[in-house]
Amino acid sequence: MEYTRQEMMAIATGREIRDGDLCVFGVGLSMLAGFFALAYHAPNAKSMTEGGIYGATPVGGLPWGIEDNRISANATCFTNAIDALGFLVASGKCDLGIIGAAQVDRFGNVNTTGFWPGPDRAAYRAPKTRLNGSGGANDIASGCKRVVIMMAHEQKRFSEQIDYLTTPGFLTGGNARAKYNFVGGGPVAIVTTLGILRPDPLTKEFMLDSYYPFSSIEEIKANTGWDLKISPTVSITPEPTEGELKALRAVDATGMLKRK
Amino acid sequence: MQNKLTTLQEAVSRYTRDGMLYASGAALPVGSDSVVFGKEMVRQGRKNLHYLAHCCSQQVNLFCATGTCDKIEGGFSGLEVYGFASGVRRACESGAVLWEDYSNLSMPLRFLGAALGWPFVPTTVNIGTDIQHRSAFNPEEYPCKSKIPQIVDPFTGKIYGALPVAKPELAVIHVTMADVEGNAIILGTEWSRFELARAADKVILQTDFLVDTDCMRQYPNLVRIPDLLVEAVIPWQLGAWPQCSVGVYDSDQEHMFAMNKMLSTPEGTEEFLQKYVHSWHTHEEYLALIGKEKIDSIMNNATTHLMDPYRKWIKSDTEIKVLMKESKFA
Repeated sequence: MEYTRQEMMAIATGREIRDGDLCVFGVGLSMLAGFFALAYHAPNAKSMTEGGIYGATPVGGLPWGIEDNRISANATCFTNAIDALGFLVASGKCDLGIIGAAQVDRFGNVNTTGFWPGPDRAAYRAPKTRLNGSGGANDIASGCKRVVIMMAHEQKRFSEQIDYLTTPGFLTGGNARAKYNFVGGGPVAIVTTLGILRPDPLTKEFMLDSYYPFSSIEEIKANTGWDLKISPTVSITPEPTEGELKALRAVDATGMLKRK
Repeated sequence: MQNKLTTLQEAVSRYTRDGMLYASGAALPVGSDSVVFGKEMVRQGRKNLHYLAHCCSQQVNLFCATGTCDKIEGGFSGLEVYGFASGVRRACESGAVLWEDYSNLSMPLRFLGAALGWPFVPTTVNIGTDIQHRSAFNPEEYPCKSKIPQIVDPFTGKIYGALPVAKPELAVIHVTMADVEGNAIILGTEWSRFELARAADKVILQTDFLVDTDCMRQYPNLVRIPDLLVEAVIPWQLGAWPQCSVGVYDSDQEHMFAMNKMLSTPEGTEEFLQKYVHSWHTHEEYLALIGKEKIDSIMNNATTHLMDPYRKWIKSDTEIKVLMKESKFA
């Protein structure tokens, strides 16, 4: 079966979810990846939104927001932000979070706040481009046991130096997270439209772990803004199966991932 | 019993002023925010608001586009799947609005701290990032030590952060249903409206439905905002439009995009003001502006069953008119 890069990314992201995980999905495409996993290989995983909507599956396509009617129609529980992001995420109870990124660096630190081009990054000044800010991403990356970053693989997004550190990955690498006593373990994968990056166990620098049947190591290196290291065990990511694609497309009823 | 019903116009004129520390109560960017109250504030020409916005919404977007606020503290500045908020972007990029970044957990924790009368809130989030190190309000201080100062856990010696509490002078909160005294039930996520209602000096409710107090007596566990916190109640169905109110109406996809597009330029913003802010006064005129066909379409959605238990207590337009005359504000 034919599939798009975005569908490959969503399926590869969904495969990170293990049956029985408690998961929190960010707004947009990461929600499709998550609900695909619940529908296909992780029926006992539990999902929530950071808004405090539990037990729901989207009705009628990708929800416009993580609180809207499409994700509220069949919920079993509504609470609030402190419950979802606090009692369940900041506490360390949540197994897995999926977040997006505008920019990411080699240690999995994420910028979703804005672009401040030029050398003077230190002091705050009006951004050249204002983006969305953290939302719940900072909280998810601080508290969840595992975090998956899902994003388009473009050189400007995979940056030697991100413009603003919105959401903590491994900060300066190694055991830098320990200084802040973060509850969660940090990002386990950056799943992109070209491949999957995973952190070196010691340095925490992200390396290419696998690439897709339609991409290559060269293409991925050319689209990464730092000198990307290649894992000695680099492999080809298994193609989406027919079952996976059918399950994903049932969740993606409005075809958001079919766009090329 | 105190009947606190009031009109949009009266509430804005009585309870808001230029430069105030204002908050609106919402369910994330696309969900139910007090959007119509914000439009009335714009119409009455409020300026220089300091806005505590847990998340962006079309109210925040409108305030930014129209120069109604110049400072915002918030956790998220977009409109989710509807895209970047164009009014917010324009104002932040020009420097007209300073957006002090927090996150979707740290904002409600700051409300909770204010609600409890705490001096600050210890935090395990936002630390170690530019949310802690950079401040739009103190741009020269880098890395910033005064926004989320580092603190030492007195029990373990470990390093954490201290969030400043957020105590608005006024919170205007959208709810699904309320009685004349201000007891309120929210359908869908309450997001941060529970703690916001307790953090603010004053609370005003904007409600889709006015219901009899018997409804609250039937479901007292669901009344998350009790009357004793509330100054005034504005019955205004579809007050969150074009955003959604779970159980009642869906977001208006066409208008969400159109509004955001108009707010992307000064000319478009002027057009928006003429068409959607200055063109109506009464609730009937407001509904006519949205249009019957659109209203039918957004009210026909997958969540309407959530309202079923409450329908028998809903007050009709005629009953609301009578009750308005019995209000303490009348």
